[in-house]
Amino acid sequence: MFLPFKNPFGIRFKLVFLSSFLLIIPWLGYQYILEMEDYLRRGQERTVLGTAQALATALNERPELFDEGTFSPARYSEDLYVYPIFSPLSLDDGSLTDWREYQQYEVNYDYENFLQTPLNPIRPYDIEKSLSFKHMVGEFNGSLYAYFKVKDDRLVYRDRASLSVHRSDFLQISMLSRESNQLNRYVIAPYESEFLYPYRVGEDYSDPVYEQRISGQWYETDSGYEVELRIPMEMLGERLGFAIFDVDNPKTRSVHTVVATSEVGDRERLGSLRLPTPEIDRIVAGMGHNNSRIQVVDRSGRVLLSVGDIQTATGLQLSTADSDEPVNKYWHILQDRILDPLYYQILSQPSNNFIDDLYSGVAREGAHIDSALDGVPRTQYRTLADSETRLLEAAHPILAGGEVLGATVVDQNMNGLRTFRNQALESLFNTMLAVMLLVALGLFLFASRISSRIRALRNQAEGIIDDTGRVKNTIIPSANSDEIGDLARSFSSIVERLTQYTNYLQNMSSRLSHELRTPVTVVRSSLENLSMSEQKNSEASVYLDRAEEGIKRLNLILTNMSEATRLEQMLQTSEKEKIDLCKVVDGCVEGYKLAYPSVRFISDFPGQALHVNGVPEYIAQLLDKLIANAVEFSYPNQPISVFCRALRDHAVLKVRNAGPFLPEEMKDRLFDSMISVRPQEKQQQPHLGMGLHIARLITEFHGGRIRAENRPDREGVIVTVVLPMFYK
Amino acid sequence: MLSSLGQTQYSSANLLSAKELSNQPVDRMSRRIAIVEDEAAIRENYADVLRKQGYEVQTYANRRDAMSAFDIRLPNLAIIDIGLENEIDGGFTLCQTLRSMSDTLPIIFLTARDNDFDTVSGLRMGADDYLTKDISLPHLTARIAALFRRLDVIDKPPSPESLLQRGQLTLDVGRLTVQWGKQPVPLTVTEFWMVHALAKYPGHVKSRQVLMQESKIFVDGSTITSHIKRVRRKFIQVDPEFDCIETVYGMGYRWNSEPVLAE
Repeated sequence: MFLPFKNPFGIRFKLVFLSSFLLIIPWLGYQYILEMEDYLRRGQERTVLGTAQALATALNERPELFDEGTFSPARYSEDLYVYPIFSPLSLDDGSLTDWREYQQYEVNYDYENFLQTPLNPIRPYDIEKSLSFKHMVGEFNGSLYAYFKVKDDRLVYRDRASLSVHRSDFLQISMLSRESNQLNRYVIAPYESEFLYPYRVGEDYSDPVYEQRISGQWYETDSGYEVELRIPMEMLGERLGFAIFDVDNPKTRSVHTVVATSEVGDRERLGSLRLPTPEIDRIVAGMGHNNSRIQVVDRSGRVLLSVGDIQTATGLQLSTADSDEPVNKYWHILQDRILDPLYYQILSQPSNNFIDDLYSGVAREGAHIDSALDGVPRTQYRTLADSETRLLEAAHPILAGGEVLGATVVDQNMNGLRTFRNQALESLFNTMLAVMLLVALGLFLFASRISSRIRALRNQAEGIIDDTGRVKNTIIPSANSDEIGDLARSFSSIVERLTQYTNYLQNMSSRLSHELRTPVTVVRSSLENLSMSEQKNSEASVYLDRAEEGIKRLNLILTNMSEATRLEQMLQTSEKEKIDLCKVVDGCVEGYKLAYPSVRFISDFPGQALHVNGVPEYIAQLLDKLIANAVEFSYPNQPISVFCRALRDHAVLKVRNAGPFLPEEMKDRLFDSMISVRPQEKQQQPHLGMGLHIARLITEFHGGRIRAENRPDREGVIVTVVLPMFYK
Repeated sequence: MLSSLGQTQYSSANLLSAKELSNQPVDRMSRRIAIVEDEAAIRENYADVLRKQGYEVQTYANRRDAMSAFDIRLPNLAIIDIGLENEIDGGFTLCQTLRSMSDTLPIIFLTARDNDFDTVSGLRMGADDYLTKDISLPHLTARIAALFRRLDVIDKPPSPESLLQRGQLTLDVGRLTVQWGKQPVPLTVTEFWMVHALAKYPGHVKSRQVLMQESKIFVDGSTITSHIKRVRRKFIQVDPEFDCIETVYGMGYRWNSEPVLAE
């Protein structure tokens, strides 16, 4: 029969495989959250743009806010923008660390801002390398603060013996005075690193007069020197300019080059002082509490003011989880050690420790600002190169009389949204993981249960019928009401009916013999009556004898037929005892020598006793059947050998005879009831094939096994009985 | 049906103490045998044979008829089938009832059931013998005669020539009784003949075939085995040390004279 390919995937595997489709659910959740993030981002975009627009609207049509007093267009780096400073600055600490948070506003001046003065009539060729400085000005508490980070390859201090202040490296401050509106020049030319000792000088650097209102410190750095200074605001007029004079040759002490913020010698060309406009401040401050950084830039892109900082401008106000509620410690460990590292393989965790490079300068650039300065509001996203942080930037033009005066820029970082998304994903993943674990476990258990039940049923079904096709066991009907239970029950009822039928077949001979016995008795007693009463008529007595002979044979058949049943009944009530198998077999063989005088017996027994737990009469009966069989099938003049040995914990009894071999297909069925391999013509006596069946019954009663094999030389048959040895 | 075990001792033992039947010498002609058998042909065949032997025979087809007749007058011997019409164990019930009416009445089961279980049950019910229907009519009549003879000679002094002495064993061939030491051993007629066959030539092995012939039954080997077991048990009940019947595996049985010191 064609054997179907055995499927290596059981029900359990299939169910688990199917349940893996559940993985789609977290994916859907992920998609949903992404969509929601997108939605929120658009919302944030709109909010940010709305903020910019609102601010711009507030600033619209108010050109005066962008220009304190002058209409001259702000030229890059000539006008000095004064940034508000919110904390006192120390001028005597010898470092710029306290300026740190304002350094983003510093402006670089280099050879492009070269200034030709009467002191340096020739522009030198190597100016690029020799001098540049960075500088910013701020306002705090009625004073103007400024610092200069000067890069100078060679420092030349003022000669202590010299009166002139312009024959060394020096800083010139030019301002229009507030009272007289005339150009005042101040020079700071130190002898060494020291506190500032400024002089007010004339046009040709003559008549230095000490000016005590300007204070500060000059100190050297690796690449040059730094100057921090403070000027009271009441000294200052509308215009202010700084120039760094560089002397490189201590011998000649001639000015080599000058870099200046504006034309410090000309009162008309001096740069304007752009003070923070209090009006804008007020308006912007009113909008400054909405989690964004707000900046206002003028037409040239210079930041007029900035409120809020981008690191905390998360846009979304994230409520931190309440830690009041007790959190399971193990859950915490699980979350921290296992889940989070796993999740953040996929998710990016934004950090607020980023630096926005673009903002370190005074000017703002970007497509959105360009667009806003062209009159079109715009938002854009920018990803910072060094981190996962994305920034949302919106710019809206500020209009006055149809002209763009500047733009409001509102920035938010996306970390809030990202964090929000991550939290949502985390909780989604947690829930999903738990649900999936539960479902998978449930499915696995369910499938295991199902498959184990089916396997148990299969094992039971396989165990019902033994190798010889007899019904041995039954199936325990399941109390379960589902399909498998149904299957088990129907199996059980099938087996029950099969068993009944088999029993019916097995008992048929016995029943038949019982039923036949009565009519046989009728016939026999009648015949006997007849023979007793009939006058001895020779003709009649012949027939009577024949009839009686027939009846006798019929009786024998009936007795044989019920022998197995009778034996089975007797076996049920028999008690086993410890017997020496060798002694029993030996005695039997002696008997057979008498019973079958024409047959030669060879016995082969071990020297010692071979104890088994059994009933000697039945063992003898078993041997009777085997020997009777062997004698019947033996070739004439061939010996029958009886062999008996202990083999480990079993006693082995073998009866071999030389004779016709067994047909292969009969070997297993030989011990069944009413099976005989006798050729028809050999039947001198009635045979029902009960002998070996009885032998098997007895063997099984003793817990042993019996089998018949052909001899290797195919010249006879060996019947082997294996019995367990006696144990205490 | 086995509940009556305690109440009825082995019937053969009771026979020995029976008085009323044996006191009045009964002529064979007046001996009444009751046959309770539901199969008419068998019943009549047996009745015919026994009538020819000179017995007075009454036949009954079922237990009710038999009982109503027995209530009026008991027969001298009853032959009962176990299955009676619709009563599977009607014979057993009848046997019990009869035994309760008379301790000494010989009862023979004559049945088609040849299994050990029924045999044991029947004998415990108080039957004097348990025969299968394989038995030939001559054997049956011989058995009936033996039972009657046992009744007849119960009071007569044992004639020495009919006694067979083997150590502690005394067989009275005339009365078909057995004594071990001075104790009577309650054997059925079949069992007596078996013991007789064995003890006649101590040390000789008697095959099952021989035992069957001697005890005038026709059964298979395993039935002989269970008969021998029963006989042994009965002797052991009298004397726990009894060990005279030896099984010679594959050949048969043998009577071993017990050692002299046992006397």
